[in-house]
Amino acid sequence: MDDHFIEMRSLIKVYPPDTLALDHVDLTIKEGEIHSLIGENGAGKSTLMKVLYGMIPASSGEISLRGRRVRYASPREAVAAGIGMVHQEFMLVPSYTIYENVILGAEPVGRLGALRNAEARRRVQSLIDRYGLNLNIDDRVRDTSVGAQQKVEILKLLYRDVDVLIMDEPTAVLTPQETGELFRRLHDLNAAGKTIIFISHKLDEVLELSDTITVMRRGRHVATLENRGLGKADLARAMVGRDVVFSVDKPPAHCGDVVFEARDLSYMDAGGRLRLDGVSLAVRRGEIVGIAGVEGNGQFELVQLVTGLAPVQSGEVKICGRDVTGVPVIERRKLMCYVPQDRKASGSAQKMSLVDNAIMTHHRLNPRLESGWRMLLGPGKCRRFAQNLVDTFGVLAPNVDTPISSLSGGNQQKVVVGREFLFDADFVLLDQPTRGVDVGSVEFIQREIIRKRGSTEGATANMGENATAAAAAAAGCLLISADLDELFSLADRILVMHRGRIVADLAPPDTTREEVGEYMLGVRESQSQHWPRAQAASASASDPGGEEARAK
Amino acid sequence: MSKNALTALAGVGVALLAGLVILWAQGYPALPSYAALFSYSLFSKFAIVSTLNKATPLVLTGLSAAVGFGSNCVNLGQPGQFLIGAMAVAGFGIACDLPAPVMIPLAIMVALAAGALWAGIAAGFRRRFNMDEFITTLMLNFIADYFTLYLISGPMWDRATYSPMTKMTNPGSWLPMWDGLSAAFVVSCVAFVITWVIWDRSKLGYEWRVMGQNSVFARVGGCPSEANFTRAMLLSGALAGLAGGLMIMGGMQHRFVKGMGANYAWDGVMIAIVAANGMVPTGLYALFFAAIQTGAMGMELETAVPSEFALVLQAIIVLFVVASRESTRLLINNLAANLRARAAAVGAARERGRGEGGERGASGH
Repeated sequence: MDDHFIEMRSLIKVYPPDTLALDHVDLTIKEGEIHSLIGENGAGKSTLMKVLYGMIPASSGEISLRGRRVRYASPREAVAAGIGMVHQEFMLVPSYTIYENVILGAEPVGRLGALRNAEARRRVQSLIDRYGLNLNIDDRVRDTSVGAQQKVEILKLLYRDVDVLIMDEPTAVLTPQETGELFRRLHDLNAAGKTIIFISHKLDEVLELSDTITVMRRGRHVATLENRGLGKADLARAMVGRDVVFSVDKPPAHCGDVVFEARDLSYMDAGGRLRLDGVSLAVRRGEIVGIAGVEGNGQFELVQLVTGLAPVQSGEVKICGRDVTGVPVIERRKLMCYVPQDRKASGSAQKMSLVDNAIMTHHRLNPRLESGWRMLLGPGKCRRFAQNLVDTFGVLAPNVDTPISSLSGGNQQKVVVGREFLFDADFVLLDQPTRGVDVGSVEFIQREIIRKRGSTEGATANMGENATAAAAAAAGCLLISADLDELFSLADRILVMHRGRIVADLAPPDTTREEVGEYMLGVRESQSQHWPRAQAASASASDPGGEEARAK
Repeated sequence: MSKNALTALAGVGVALLAGLVILWAQGYPALPSYAALFSYSLFSKFAIVSTLNKATPLVLTGLSAAVGFGSNCVNLGQPGQFLIGAMAVAGFGIACDLPAPVMIPLAIMVALAAGALWAGIAAGFRRRFNMDEFITTLMLNFIADYFTLYLISGPMWDRATYSPMTKMTNPGSWLPMWDGLSAAFVVSCVAFVITWVIWDRSKLGYEWRVMGQNSVFARVGGCPSEANFTRAMLLSGALAGLAGGLMIMGGMQHRFVKGMGANYAWDGVMIAIVAANGMVPTGLYALFFAAIQTGAMGMELETAVPSEFALVLQAIIVLFVVASRESTRLLINNLAANLRARAAAVGAARERGRGEGGERGASGH
């Protein structure tokens, strides 16, 4: 076994124009090991592996395989050299069978271009048997589960005789059972001599699976550790660069009246799958309600229904006592602010200036942006508004006329959060507000969230559309996050979503990450003792007039 | 903004040079041809007036395309909207006979409404049946083409003539001329100013611009995307319709003649593309293209270069300007990336020289 199987030296990658994604990364992979790459989002794990796999060129640095210097211009060359990568998004033809997908691009061709299926089928089948992949080669890919599709991706690479398997966050799309199955298969492959590089940001998985762990942070190689006697805390510290559980100063919550209420929301998607199944929840002024859950368990649909981007099929949404179930987006935005999950896709227009990004929604609600005539915007007023946002929220930007795309991710997110927090709304919907943002910005944004929640005792209950209370007055926040640390440091209550239902209502001091995790994975079923609180809250807010069930 | 203007100027300059090379390669006297091109379009009063008259429809079709594309409505129906606008004005001008102060504003309204209606059909199809406006506007062009042809060779044919055309409109709808400059140019300037205000200064224009860049962001922000789409289509159609209407109201013929409008609509699409859907650039490029088209006629007289050379030159300009816009951006970004990588490499080498193994080194930002 070669101890210097793959060596990467001083790799630098700059994404144009100015993003230093890899900063002198050195990494050595031993032959036949399971080597994990771990780090936060944006730490450079995937970039590093894409450079190795020939998908993107490095700006400088070198790679050698078995002591020979290599540089792959395309994934095809990398695969030919025995290095294969399974991406997060699968690259399969859904209407083809598993067998057809596996041979696609490497068809066994005989004379006159005829396919020589029999031999190839035998080979594919023998690979399945040998590695216990448990696939039926004649199933169509579209009929198989996500876990099976992932195995097809692995099978594709095995068929092409790779020695190195790079798995890019393979567990993100899997259920816990499928994850267990995947790990067993990876161990089998490893036992058969394959080298495995495993990218993840989940500490448990990495500790369970790997021989060696490399930690990356902000484009740099931080440490490479043998997985012997390591604990989560060691890894977490290396990942973040300090003790992780930084506590945001959070005064105790003083809850007031209900500012948001969802009752019995159900939603079926176009494919006929029930995405939300009778979700009821309430948020009171002065509290942060967190929603935990594995992605894809109904959080997305819940946000869509609350913001009005998708029509409510059954159930009811109330903000500040007003029934907004069938009301257009702009009417809801008078009552709530909303930080969307994906700032590039839905939180900004990347090519437009900071001003244009800052005034969105304000342009309709804030009369101070108007010039003399109601239909027109005053350019100077808009610029001053944007400048104020930049100053208040500490956005680092050369000026307010630069396109927002030229700012760093953290600063872009500050613009988005700042824009929303400048609304005088009593209800705040936060969908992954700190995703993909540098640590400094995370802290800043989390402080702002706490400030928005406020702590003033029983803040003057000033309900209704035009609450004139200062921006610092208490608001109720609904925080959707995939990051348990964030939920535990911010939320006053944590609701857990699983398969479109809220299965638990927990209070952070009395609960643990493990308990939340078990609910998230469906290991624990919903327990009725957790329910009374949410229902009491919603009952207290219901007025007899708004009882009629809305069903479209 | 000024960086964009510079790259555009550079693109135009290189395109003109390329045109020079083409002329030279074909054995024409290159420099005298260019001299003629500009002297017949810019350097006399008559030349300037001709250029401005030529620019009148181009500004409007250009704005029409820019409003459409800039708000993510792929309205390619300018030719149809142009013809329908012209035909509506022709019909109105024949049927009604009113004094000019009443008739001219009415005729302008008719042109706007007819163009908007023709684009509105496509917008309606999109909203009702989710049909792509890209296809429907193109198909409606054919319908407009043959429908107007049917009218001028059948029900509306002027029997006093031997080719398909309508009767002359009543003089009340004719726009005045001042020393050869048609008042149609003034109308199109007014339309330009109004469109600019809407696009660059109004709330609706802001929403359209955001919609053109990221429609999801606009929707999340509370902009009524469906209604805004229809509005953009209507304005885009109205501008193209006005371009057609002014062809009847201005000029000399005052009737709908077969083959009217020629390339104005497609030139407008081209102008919007070089102008990157900006309103002011659209106006400037419309003037520039008008100058080239006008000058090409003079060039033909002086140096025997066929006036079709204007088409070649326009196409080259479009290619060079659009290409220079994208490529300079990529070039600058890649250059910046390389500099950054080199700086990082140098910084780290220095760091290493100073003391081995320092974990926190030259930090990125």
